[in-house]
Amino acid sequence: MPLAAPIRDEFVALLGERDVLSDPVRTRTYECDGLTGSRVVPELVLLPRTADDVAGCVRVCARHRIPFVARGAGTGLSGGALPVADGVVIGLNRLNRVLEVDPENRRAVLEPGVTNLEITAAAAPHGLYYAPDPSSQQVCTIGGNVAENSGGAHCLKYGFTTNHVLSLEVVLPDGSVVTLGSDSAEQSGPDLRGVFLGSEGTLGIVTKITVRLLRTPEVMRTLLADFPSVAAGGQVVSDIVAAGIVPAAVEMMDALAIEAAEGATGAGYSLDTPAALVVELDGTVEECEEQFAQVKEICDRHGCTRLHVAGSPEERANIWRGRKAAFAAVGRISPDYIVQDGVVPRTRLSEVLERIEAMGTEAGLRVANVFHAGDGNLHPLVLFSAADGETERAERLSAGIAELCVEMGGSLSGEHGIGTDKACSMPAMFGVDDLAVMDRVRAGFDPDHICNPGKLLPTPRLCGEKPGRYRPHPLEEAGLIERL
Amino acid sequence: MTRAAPTTLRPTTPAEVRDAVLDVPGRLAISGAGTARHWAGRPDAVDATLDLSALSGVITHNPGDMTVSVHAGTPLADLQAELAGHGQRLALDAARAGRGATVGGLVATADAGPSALIYGGMRDLVIGTTSVLADGTMVRSGGHVIKNVAGYDMAKLLHGSYGTFGPLVEVVLRLHPVAKATACVAVDGPVDDAAERVLALMASPLEPIAVEWLSGDPGRLLVRLEGGTSTLPARVRRLVELLGDGAREVGPDAWDEHAALTTGEPGRAAGVGGAAGAAGRDAVVRIGCAPRSLAPLLGRLPATAVTAGLATGVATVTVHDASVTDVHDAVAAAGGTSVLRDRPADLDAPAWGAAPSALPLLTAIKNQLDPEARFAPGRFAPWM
Repeated sequence: MPLAAPIRDEFVALLGERDVLSDPVRTRTYECDGLTGSRVVPELVLLPRTADDVAGCVRVCARHRIPFVARGAGTGLSGGALPVADGVVIGLNRLNRVLEVDPENRRAVLEPGVTNLEITAAAAPHGLYYAPDPSSQQVCTIGGNVAENSGGAHCLKYGFTTNHVLSLEVVLPDGSVVTLGSDSAEQSGPDLRGVFLGSEGTLGIVTKITVRLLRTPEVMRTLLADFPSVAAGGQVVSDIVAAGIVPAAVEMMDALAIEAAEGATGAGYSLDTPAALVVELDGTVEECEEQFAQVKEICDRHGCTRLHVAGSPEERANIWRGRKAAFAAVGRISPDYIVQDGVVPRTRLSEVLERIEAMGTEAGLRVANVFHAGDGNLHPLVLFSAADGETERAERLSAGIAELCVEMGGSLSGEHGIGTDKACSMPAMFGVDDLAVMDRVRAGFDPDHICNPGKLLPTPRLCGEKPGRYRPHPLEEAGLIERL
Repeated sequence: MTRAAPTTLRPTTPAEVRDAVLDVPGRLAISGAGTARHWAGRPDAVDATLDLSALSGVITHNPGDMTVSVHAGTPLADLQAELAGHGQRLALDAARAGRGATVGGLVATADAGPSALIYGGMRDLVIGTTSVLADGTMVRSGGHVIKNVAGYDMAKLLHGSYGTFGPLVEVVLRLHPVAKATACVAVDGPVDDAAERVLALMASPLEPIAVEWLSGDPGRLLVRLEGGTSTLPARVRRLVELLGDGAREVGPDAWDEHAALTTGEPGRAAGVGGAAGAAGRDAVVRIGCAPRSLAPLLGRLPATAVTAGLATGVATVTVHDASVTDVHDAVAAAGGTSVLRDRPADLDAPAWGAAPSALPLLTAIKNQLDPEARFAPGRFAPWM
């Protein structure tokens, strides 16, 4: 049922005509996030400029029981910001101020629309930085990072968003405003801050975030090493960990992923190697140099065929550019692809990669692998051609890979979230009781089920009659119209 | 059903915990080693106590993955001894671990020690939990992998819950390697002086693991470093130089005094008259605020003993029991949080400072998970 005109008027009274979008040409911009296969055009898009206005919008929604979906940059990969039919999208991009950088307390206070990289940019003059670094950090927002508990390449040593957020100002689904967390790690009672982090927009909308900043490490050492097999690379990671070294990051790419990334960026990866490892250490001069020598020795011991040490900050940036561009670059070698995000215990990496390869062969589809080898977080990219009718096979393979990770004692998702994409796989990881209790916690925050409904937890409607992936309109295929 | 005398139940398996919750009607207290029995709100009368100290032991340790799952009643000290054989540890150095505190108890009380500066507290180290709700539901969240965002993180809800949502039965933890070498540098001086040194220290690249000021005459700043056997001495020299006049390396037993002051153990805290807890009329309050606000705040408190994390903003202060309310008020005025820990058994002082803005939310979640308010009544009095 479409929203009645008087309700739209309430939003207009609050925000003004130009910040309430209802023209389908404009609202279509918000029809999906990074999971582009699922699309719903929202009824209205609200673009508040202040936290008060966010609360005002939510209060209107609560009064009329209108479902709402918060949205940052829309880079999420699990459909967490997919609009709800007959609902509104609350876009937070206009709350984009760095409110405070406090170098003495090593923290920053931010509005949700500030991008991840802007935090470090604001902190850098003080010799500080913000640690979590998702690959999309140039555009993704801290509000979205909070919703997804974002990780990144460096979370092996430094942890995830939840380890770096001190407190949150949150608009609850009834429109009330609360602070979760505090100015220190001491809190009054249960860690509701931690419950909210990673709740994928289902428990409220964050309007202010206080994050910890870290001092920029004295030195960073980055190497790129080629190996004759992914298994050999995996053994290097195990030996590094066994040596008691905690690297800042350990990333692995297989031949297919390297081909894509190198083609897109020319970052200097070898095109003829079955596997490449990026290892980064940071810290004090003394510790870093000693451990870096150990890491190089471990690489040699496992048949490293080429070892390139970044000799300058530019070379380091180049190595990372290749790695972080990998997802998008896969578009060069396949018309369509699905990114997965499963996690396995690190010691089972080789085993799971063999199984994935076998599953890909069986499905007749290629799978490129880019992953955070240090923490067992895989990003298999299932390559397919929708035009050749491979979509359903690819989706089945992709879900199968995620559930394989659970079977191996891991998780459906390491950092991309469950959203709509993996909600129907949740019963593979959690029991009926576990999910029912999560739903009770959700009801404590959102008794009316208006806050990003249909995400994170499986529902009969979602999993019984799941909408298909986006398929281009015949006119679009004919080149007569284009995707907006 | 009200019982004449409260029963104590000692389940030895998760299933027995669930059965106890289902079989015993009425209100339940939860205890582990009993080291935080007097912390937070004083428990109201209950029908039975669930003593989880027999629910103990490692379930699975995966050294290669650096994770371990344990029964909630496992004493942390026992776990550390077992992990040490693999060169691993839980990076949590809460003082009361030395008195037998259990893993579940440390989670439920959100306790942490000086190394929380780098490693965080239990909220950062727990990666999975199984707990039992009032209706007997056994609920699992998280898992056995460090990186995992699937589902709501129930472990966070249980962190600092003092049992109000029910007993933890299993906890999965992420581990860290044991440091190859550890060193401690001390410099004497009052808290304001220490705070300025810490400001310079935290702007340096030296990566201290723990930074704590201890009260005394004139007080002492302790800084812990961890590193390689051959590399640490050079960093210690840099640290001594940075901290300036009077700084020198000291032995690890310097931390024993810190632990004693933090736990308010009678007789162990040097220079503190009338120890906290059972022996005297002192009370221990845990406080937290922005790190740079801590030293000025401490200056306003009528404390008889203090340990202060000048880089974390978390401090443990001992005061005469009549001053507890003053401490709550002063901390709240500085934008901080405070909770009463050890105190005389008959002390009638508020356990918590000002109620948080999220109290209605906390109450709503409590109503969802424990609608009859069976678990740990009184712990959050007077809030709920």
